[in-house]
Amino acid sequence: MSICRKACIAFVILALLASAGIAQDDIVIDFYFPSATANDAEGIFQRYADAFQERNEGITINPVFTGSYTDTRNTILTELQGGGAGPDVAVMLSIDLYSFAEEGYIIPAQGFIDAMDDGGAYIDDFFPALMANGVDEEGNVWSIPFQRSTPILYYNAELLAEAGYDSPPTNNAELVEIAQALTTEDRDGLLVPVAGGFPIWMYQSFAIAYGQNIVSDDPTEVYFNTPEAVAAVEFVRSLGTDLGVGPAGGAAWGDTPVAFLAGQAAMIYHTTGNLSRILDGAEFEVGVWYLPSGPAGDDGTGYGSPTGGGNLYIFDDGSKSDAELDAIWKWVMFLSSAEIQADWGATTGYIASNATAWETEPLASRAMEYPQYGVARDQLQFADKEFSSYATITVQGIINKTLESILTSESEDAQAAMDVAQAQIDGILAEYK
Amino acid sequence: MRLSTPPKPLVARLQPYLLIAPTLILVLMFNVVPAVKTVTDSLHKPARGLNAAGKPPEFVGAQNFHDLFDESHYLGARFLRSFRNTIVFALATVALGVPLGLLLALLLNHEQPLLGVWRFAVFYPSLLPLIGAASIWSFIFSDSIGLANAVLRSLGHPGLNWLGDRTLALLSVIIVNIWKQAGYFMIFFLAGLQNIPRDIYEAASLDGASGWQQFAALTLPLLRRTLLFVIVISFIFAFQTVEQLQALGEGGPNDSANLLLYLIFQNISERRNWGYVNAMTIVLIGVVLTFTLSNFLLFERDESN
Repeated sequence: MSICRKACIAFVILALLASAGIAQDDIVIDFYFPSATANDAEGIFQRYADAFQERNEGITINPVFTGSYTDTRNTILTELQGGGAGPDVAVMLSIDLYSFAEEGYIIPAQGFIDAMDDGGAYIDDFFPALMANGVDEEGNVWSIPFQRSTPILYYNAELLAEAGYDSPPTNNAELVEIAQALTTEDRDGLLVPVAGGFPIWMYQSFAIAYGQNIVSDDPTEVYFNTPEAVAAVEFVRSLGTDLGVGPAGGAAWGDTPVAFLAGQAAMIYHTTGNLSRILDGAEFEVGVWYLPSGPAGDDGTGYGSPTGGGNLYIFDDGSKSDAELDAIWKWVMFLSSAEIQADWGATTGYIASNATAWETEPLASRAMEYPQYGVARDQLQFADKEFSSYATITVQGIINKTLESILTSESEDAQAAMDVAQAQIDGILAEYK
Repeated sequence: MRLSTPPKPLVARLQPYLLIAPTLILVLMFNVVPAVKTVTDSLHKPARGLNAAGKPPEFVGAQNFHDLFDESHYLGARFLRSFRNTIVFALATVALGVPLGLLLALLLNHEQPLLGVWRFAVFYPSLLPLIGAASIWSFIFSDSIGLANAVLRSLGHPGLNWLGDRTLALLSVIIVNIWKQAGYFMIFFLAGLQNIPRDIYEAASLDGASGWQQFAALTLPLLRRTLLFVIVISFIFAFQTVEQLQALGEGGPNDSANLLLYLIFQNISERRNWGYVNAMTIVLIGVVLTFTLSNFLLFERDESN
């Protein structure tokens, strides 16, 4: 045997040993997460990863910050469509379910829940409104609520008191009245962030308050040209045009809380995900209340907001071992546990997604000290499903563009524009029936 | 009598091919294969609907292109609007940005106090990362807290919704692009100006030529090559614009400030739109090629004269 051949064999043996060594090493979980607010998400997740690893030897969490929700979805799709590994677990919008299920990239959490001793109790602890987007039409749970939010009304209590209002508006008529009273030359009475590419979420609050959500449990049905849907968008448009309590066309997402904190907006609609940042940053008394009721009624039927935010998704193309899947589920359970949800809710303002978390520190004290946290939780009883359908991205794109054209008065006739959109959407969803 | 040369050994014959192989493989992998795939994908519709993953795409001929130019199609309206915006954007940034770069170069080509400071002030926007610069402008343009409106309001104007108003959104993006590029173009013009010998201006002055006459008869013709070069790169930059839009309103309300490359980016993530996205890419390449070739031909004709 030549020296060269001996060297080759030695090299192969060493390589095999080395790979065996890696296989015995930790299971590494690639965890992708976005951030839609100005919270220090990277620092917080690293803290959770460290705490998890301390308790679970042999599992390493690799947290990867992937930008906005859109960036995260695009990153993951690009990796997977290009044959890459992608994440093992990711926080993505709760409405991304059908897009990813359709591609076969994710697996339902239902199998893991069924294998648990107390799977039923685990799921029942989540607020029902937060489960709506994670379940398919057959009742299978796919994703677990994690970074959840709803829009709520933030108001500058001092400005309201100066103008003689002791309590926040509870219906649209009061909303308009107070907003007009508080509008001055250098201050907006009410900012609704519907500008900047994603009006659908805020718009949905108004559609629900008018009595008709644009989405149902059936992912092939959308109700975008109903009289309620049309009246809702006309109301939002009138805030900037006829009523003049905010900019025509609506406010931009990121500017809205900044303007509120600077005292340049008396009331804003915004996500609960910014609650901590707003409470900590405000130099005035911040009030938080349910989104005002629409014409559907003040008895609770006219309240309503969509839920929002992100769920935990499990990625598997069928190649993962039981040990890996086991480790992945442990991480999902850890992040959705009352302990972490209580910390996450108190640190960020996102709604801790299970009831037990609200009795767990630090959230229990925080909610006691700042009752504003409890408002977002209590509004969940009126909350409804966020928009999601098959071909979500395309259908949502059609809705967003149509809303923008109506809100900026490019389409004067809202009904006509929404009829066109509805026909386009029905054409796309027909492929799924 | 000629002696026949012995055949070269195999290694020697293969050597040139081996030497160009790395480049060839890279060009094939990153240029040729994606280009061919773009063309074939633009002629197909991906499988859609339930359980579509893994099914082969369907050949549809030019249907994707047909849909894109159909105003009633869900992507057609967006494509046509972005297409028009892209042409307006390119023409506006070239028509305003290039003369501005030239003007700045002319102003800063003379000895004057603080010359370095002025030149740096004009040039530094091109050093900033695109997304950073656009983020600064998104603050300047912000409706309620922005700098631009603070200035307008101090002058008694109620302020403008720069990025949220459909009639202003594209203009806002054009302003940012010109601000970003004028200083960069200025550098080329400065280099060109400094290559023009000073004595011809002295001769012209002695002959009584005015400043404007000197500019029109001497400076402009002698800067011709620089000017053509700057116009060509300015057009190419304009068609490549994408990052700024991410920070400047994501294409504006109802695509009023959207550009083709960003529209492609926005629609790439859902499989059902891949045929359209590739068709848009082909149209964009066609437009860029048309502009570049016509500039190139102009340049060539100019040289041969």
